[in-house]
Amino acid sequence: MILKPTPFHPRTSVLCESHAWRRWSGYLAASSYELSHEREYHSIRNAAALFDITPLYKYRVQGRDAARLLDRVVTRNVARTKVGDVLYTPWCDHRGKVLDDGTVARLGEQLFRLTSADPNLRWLEDCAHGLDVDIDDVSEQVAALALQGPTARAILMQLTDGGLEGLKFFRLTATSIRGMPVEISRTGYTGDLGFEIWMQAEHALAIWDALIEVGANYGMAPAGMFALDVARIEAGLMLIDVDYVSARKALIESQLSSPFELDLAWTVNTDKPSFVGKEALVAEQARGPAWQFVGVVVDWDSFERLYLAVGLAPRVPIPAWRMSVPIFSGGEQAGYATSGGWSPLLKKYIALAHLQSKWAAPGTSLEMELTVEHRRKRAIVTVVKKPFFNPARKRT
Amino acid sequence: MSAPIVVIGGGVDALVAAHWLARAGESVTMIDERGQVPSSTSGWIPPEVIRRLDLAAHGLVIGAPDPWLSAPLPNGGRLDLWRDSARTANAMRALSAPDADRWPAFCEQMREHAAVLAALYSAPAPDVMTRDWRELLHVAKIALRTRRLGRARLESFLRLVPMSIADLLDDWFESDLLKGVLGAAGVMHLHQGPRSGGTALAFLHHHVGNAPGVFRPSHSNIEAVLARCSGVDRRANVRIQQIDVQAGRVTGVTLVDGTHIAATLVVSAASPWQTLLDWVDAAWLEPDAIRAIRNIRARGVVAHVVLTLDRAPGFAALAIAPSLDYLERAYDDAKYRRISHAPLIEARYVAPSGADATHAVIVQMQFAPYLLAEGSWDASRKQALVDTVIAAVANHLPRDAILSTQCVSPADAATDDGFPAGQAHHAELALDQFLWMRPTPSLARYRTMIGGLYLCGPAMHPGAGTAGASGMLAAQTVLGDRGQQR
Amino acid sequence: MAAPYEAIVIGGGHNGLVCAAYLARAGKRVLVLEQRDRIGGAAVSEQLFPGFTFSVFSYVVSLLRPEIIRDLELPRHGLHVLPLESTLTPLPNGDYLAQWNDHDQNRRELARHSLRDAEAYDEFGRLMHLMSRAIKPILGMPPPDPASLLPRDLMGMGRLGKYFRDLGAERFHALHKLLTMSSADYLDEWFETEALKATKSASGIIGALLGPRSPGSAYVLLHHYMGELDGVFRAWGFAKGGNGSVSTAIAAAAMSFGATIRTNAPVSQVLIKNGRAVGVVLNDGEELRAPITISGADPRRTFMQFVGAQHLPNELVDGIRRFRFRGTSAKVNLALSEAPNFTCMPGVGAHLRGAISISPSVDYLERAYDDAKYGEFSRRPYMDIILPSMIDPGMAPPGQHVMSIFAQYAPYDLKGGWTDAKRAAFGDTVIDTLSEYAPNLKTSILHRQVITPPDIERMIGLTEGNIFQGELSLQQMFFLRPIPAWARYATPIEGLYQCGAGTHPGGGVMGASGRNAALTILGKMK
Repeated sequence: MILKPTPFHPRTSVLCESHAWRRWSGYLAASSYELSHEREYHSIRNAAALFDITPLYKYRVQGRDAARLLDRVVTRNVARTKVGDVLYTPWCDHRGKVLDDGTVARLGEQLFRLTSADPNLRWLEDCAHGLDVDIDDVSEQVAALALQGPTARAILMQLTDGGLEGLKFFRLTATSIRGMPVEISRTGYTGDLGFEIWMQAEHALAIWDALIEVGANYGMAPAGMFALDVARIEAGLMLIDVDYVSARKALIESQLSSPFELDLAWTVNTDKPSFVGKEALVAEQARGPAWQFVGVVVDWDSFERLYLAVGLAPRVPIPAWRMSVPIFSGGEQAGYATSGGWSPLLKKYIALAHLQSKWAAPGTSLEMELTVEHRRKRAIVTVVKKPFFNPARKRT
Repeated sequence: MSAPIVVIGGGVDALVAAHWLARAGESVTMIDERGQVPSSTSGWIPPEVIRRLDLAAHGLVIGAPDPWLSAPLPNGGRLDLWRDSARTANAMRALSAPDADRWPAFCEQMREHAAVLAALYSAPAPDVMTRDWRELLHVAKIALRTRRLGRARLESFLRLVPMSIADLLDDWFESDLLKGVLGAAGVMHLHQGPRSGGTALAFLHHHVGNAPGVFRPSHSNIEAVLARCSGVDRRANVRIQQIDVQAGRVTGVTLVDGTHIAATLVVSAASPWQTLLDWVDAAWLEPDAIRAIRNIRARGVVAHVVLTLDRAPGFAALAIAPSLDYLERAYDDAKYRRISHAPLIEARYVAPSGADATHAVIVQMQFAPYLLAEGSWDASRKQALVDTVIAAVANHLPRDAILSTQCVSPADAATDDGFPAGQAHHAELALDQFLWMRPTPSLARYRTMIGGLYLCGPAMHPGAGTAGASGMLAAQTVLGDRGQQR
Repeated sequence: MAAPYEAIVIGGGHNGLVCAAYLARAGKRVLVLEQRDRIGGAAVSEQLFPGFTFSVFSYVVSLLRPEIIRDLELPRHGLHVLPLESTLTPLPNGDYLAQWNDHDQNRRELARHSLRDAEAYDEFGRLMHLMSRAIKPILGMPPPDPASLLPRDLMGMGRLGKYFRDLGAERFHALHKLLTMSSADYLDEWFETEALKATKSASGIIGALLGPRSPGSAYVLLHHYMGELDGVFRAWGFAKGGNGSVSTAIAAAAMSFGATIRTNAPVSQVLIKNGRAVGVVLNDGEELRAPITISGADPRRTFMQFVGAQHLPNELVDGIRRFRFRGTSAKVNLALSEAPNFTCMPGVGAHLRGAISISPSVDYLERAYDDAKYGEFSRRPYMDIILPSMIDPGMAPPGQHVMSIFAQYAPYDLKGGWTDAKRAAFGDTVIDTLSEYAPNLKTSILHRQVITPPDIERMIGLTEGNIFQGELSLQQMFFLRPIPAWARYATPIEGLYQCGAGTHPGGGVMGASGRNAALTILGKMK
């Protein structure tokens, strides 16, 4: 195969009745298993959904200076973490523009795992100049699953020998599933109660089988990228190449984004003595970001009116879209939305958008372009705080 | 009184920078990792340095051997190249009458072209991308001056810059020997052969400051003179542990023995590699800067052999470079990480002086690559190299006159002098490491990404075998910055 | 009576044809004179052996300016450029390095050799994209003369200055490096896989007497990176029917605009009256007149053969004497009874629809160059191979194939001179070397044609067989091409212009010189 199958492929390929596959970092990834992603989406919010997230890039960072290296790279403070902590963080180039985002998991005093959307080995190695640290790309050796949804904890508690009960949001524990060692972190990309399970690739099939077997009693369904996309938009989580362009790939200045412009000010720790991009970020923090990354909700009445005017009932975008849609304030362009779609749960048409700061305050009313029956129209949208959906079970 | 300035590194640029700063009233501590100051230094000393540091009064002597070079003729005898171009032309006539006829015009054209470089070398490299009007004015002045050369000279200069020295010499001459000995000046210290582009520029670079028709750098006692001058607290034979940085600014230098020397300004004549990657905590450097510094090309290709003799050798300077192909083949060996089996030899006689009553010949042997395909620079390898050198000069220097030999390999130069990969110029002189690109665009103006830390060594503009020009320009930059802060 | 023609173009190579087509399109009466029995110059397709059609000399389309394709509506005149899918570099150890057009497939293959390189590849590609965009406007611009005080040139220099400043420091410095470095040094800053560096740097040595470690070779890397087909960056292509279809399409376009093309019409000299070019004289003595004469031949033939030193200023004569050609490229064309079977990737597959590059390491290429430096042909040559019949089945009888081998180095100035025996020996060397990677090659050869630089010179008149009409070294680029002061297509002879690859930007089946020249001439004719 020219595209790589993940270690779960022997199982997922059988289950993928839709034969709808997409590419994810050179791997085959199911867009949806069933003909429609609807049930898969509802499993996330209602029971549990199982995602194959092996295509993430994974790096093992080990050695005396492992924490120093990561602190040099990412914007959050790694030195202050304890074993078992997981951090979500972006990292930047020297101009303070975001290169990538991912998680840093502290597996030991001197052992970390970094996950990322794009390859980062060269960057990590170059940042490691003068440091005593080993960096290994373990992307192929480590398989990963995400189990997301209200019944996820119950399923995993059936399978593991402890550690899950008190596992807090963004914490990780080493345990085992049917005797096979795994690390389980309470993390995910759905904004729900959920876990990510990290395992050696050779155990992938056995662990998949165990989860399917137990999950059956808890309404669990394997789910694909379409369902995940809806959930992550509801959760207000951004996606590289869709919601922002990595500074590594940007061809022009205006394609670059700083963490502040991506609503990640909370991740920028300017108390650290130095990290890549700090100088630029301190300066930007002082003057305030030019852009902000926000949620917008389409005003239903204005949306419906556009359709009624041509004699149609409103049509909502299913599945979610990924493209650039202009947003206006009167005659001026205030910004653009980059992901959007219908939230089946909230019964709202929602989108993630980049707005110039003066139009980014929650409650601001703007207009978003859309095409109704071949004609360009504008619907009213309101700026809201992200996430759109934030159940208490995510953290408790 | 302001906090002292620390100048790091031995070498002529460090000495010039230190004394230049001291003359401006700064309190300067110089940390010289070397023990001894060499009695002889090669390269052009900018007239401004001689004037400002009053070097003539302190006993500066610039050697001017005549003939400035001798080269063995294929059938015995030697071709002598004299400071008087008519006399040289005469000597050349036996080899080639057309070459002899062209010699004066060649010398004149090279003099004109070198004058363009000399002007560029007397100021920091123009920053063509600047938005600062003062700098733009400077760039405009250079552009105007260059245009004033007139069409023919301007075109010939622009054409020459990217050329290979072989193409340039082929345009002028036919004698293999003449082209060989001239071509040698184009590859000096370079990991290039005479057919490589940019070697014509290197040829011109080494001609800067020389008398017309002299194509070897001059030697002087500038380092010895400066070391004798007062005004700088010079600490020799000490080793640096690190350059201390806090909040992105230098705070001083810590020595291997633990001594901390506080300073708000540090000027380093060591290589960018050593200064920034070895001595500064990399946390202060952006990865792009680290990549850029690592990518500075510096590949040592020269070994030195010192022969002490019981009598004078009968030449002042001797080159064994019989043809461009000979040089090219010598380079071919280096390309595959082998020591040239038929190397370029530049031998220079040093007469007894003072207490030292022996005669010496210093041989610069090229190509001796720092990285070897097989084995390392061990004693037997060095002995073999000495044997090659002695065999090469055997016809010009009786074997029984040799009292002792000493070999400095590129590996020795790396260890003892901190030359990156044994490269004396710290950054090879090439078009992509020239002017605003030397040694990298962001370091080209002597300032570094660390506040208060400056570079002044041979890697800086103009550097590469000039004596004190980079030191002077860096010192001027430091003083300018200091003036602005006050 | 008005002369029947307003312009005569000497040489029916692609630049001459492009120039003629643009002039004709603007309503000018144009005559193209081609010495051979067919138009195309170095871009010709010939059925050398029954059933087997070859792109005899140039063999890929990459640099042909898209605006020329659009302006002249070349697809309407039969041009169809098909993509080359990959580059395969077989390695002596039985492994290979493949570069694929698909990003994921390519990344996976590179990662097999080096994870770092797989990562660097994308960033390198981004920079090359930016650099190609930076250089593109310069290609379409008649170079200003830096020594001139004419407002046109002062403004040109000013525009150029502003242009570089607008690039920003990062891109300006990257461009500086590309223009001055060796391709191997440049690639060393990015990659560690030998075969990758070698295969990429090979594009920097094509047509040049340079090794991958010679400064100045990095620029040509970019020159070959600018392949821009249908807006797809870096895609190389193969013209259906061979590269001759490029020429015939341009010729058809020119004729559709009213141009006249005469073959078997070798020019012996440019007619000069009172310091003005007034037409040409053919070998048979026929005189043809026109107020404008444009030469698509290389600078040495144009000035030394067609014009003559007696009509020219000394500086120009000196300059042309110093202009370096030194052809180094040879071509081996094979008719095969079956497809080659590469040990590293057996069977018939996508890899045979792309290029195959014999460039296992930088040292391999350097050694090939070493031989040429001292007047020998490479004992182990660099080769760039394509199998046109794999892409366009019309090129060979069913099941059989044509193979085009571009081989280097075969220096024009071979020690002892080129003889039939030497040519055959070089052909054998090429085939022996390639057979090490594809053992069935030797037994499947039905016919072979070996073309050395002197053959190129003899057959299509390129001086010293240089495929770019003069080395593309920095001292022969831009306002120095072919010589300063006469780098804007004009010549000291009023009414005589140059439009060949020996003028800016030159090189490759690009057509930019022809187009720039036509636009310059049209500007003056107004």
